[in-house]
Amino acid sequence: MEQDTIIIDSLTSRPLPKWLTDQRDGLNTLQPVKIEMKEDKSLNISLIVTGAFILLVVAVLTIYVLRRNKNKK
Amino acid sequence: MKSIHVKILIIAGILSLACTTKVSEWVLLNSLPNQYTLVYFHSAALTETVKQQNSAVTRELKDANVQFKNILKQDIKKPYYALYYQDRLFSKYSDINELKNLSASPLREKIADELMSGKLCVMLYLKTDNQPKDEASLQLIKKTLASSPFGEIITLVELSRNSKEEKHFVSMLLNVEDDLKGINEPMLFGIFGRFKALEPLIAKGITEENVSLMINFLTADCSCLIKDNLPGTDILFTDKWENPTPALVNKILDENPSLMHI
Repeated sequence: MEQDTIIIDSLTSRPLPKWLTDQRDGLNTLQPVKIEMKEDKSLNISLIVTGAFILLVVAVLTIYVLRRNKNKK
Repeated sequence: MKSIHVKILIIAGILSLACTTKVSEWVLLNSLPNQYTLVYFHSAALTETVKQQNSAVTRELKDANVQFKNILKQDIKKPYYALYYQDRLFSKYSDINELKNLSASPLREKIADELMSGKLCVMLYLKTDNQPKDEASLQLIKKTLASSPFGEIITLVELSRNSKEEKHFVSMLLNVEDDLKGINEPMLFGIFGRFKALEPLIAKGITEENVSLMINFLTADCSCLIKDNLPGTDILFTDKWENPTPALVNKILDENPSLMHI
């Protein structure tokens, strides 16, 4: 009875059900969190923020001193 | 101990219990079956006779996971009924007599009784009526079940895809995936919970490994990943899911902790 058989090979031609492949691959349970090393940029950020803060303070103080001297004259 | 600590302990206990419930048991106890919609499409006003007919249909289906609707549609030549599962069209019926036994049939009754008696699942083998082809896979399934520690709590039933008595049931099974009707090969459906049919194993896909994976899926702890995305299609059936017998799988796992897996 070949005529009523279409060529179906569910292992290759037709995908297996998702619930089955998930079970096979262990995807039905919560996966442990992968720990990845990340580049530590905290030192650079700290230096930039400190530098910016110092520049800002110097600028503010400079303006303050210049204005005070100008007012005295 | 402060009351907040007691509350945390109780909540943690409940959560830990919930996470150790097996998939088959959790679905039976907690997952309501999705609704079907039976629509009567008509192009003219409903006559009294049709109204009475449709009332009778509604009464017959009142306990099943299906709702009935009348929809006026101008571009049809003849009124008809259509059965939808969510937004998928499952079947069309030109005559009301074709709706007979839509929500119940002997095999569906039997399967529901098995599920309510605490069985892990019912494996339904849908045959093609081509005996050599059917027999090979059937023997393999029987062998796998015989060697499984859960074999005794799994019921295997056979059904011909040409069965007249179970034509509605066969139609629903062949609609679990949209290409199944065109595949004339033996199929193995795992039925669990409140009549949820998993996407089937087909032809050469019916292997010992895959049948065992089906058992593993149903005996696994019900993780949030499974709960949030339950596979399968609910079969239309009269609602009778109150007070099931406790799941037999727990007894087997308690006696054989080595079978426990997640």
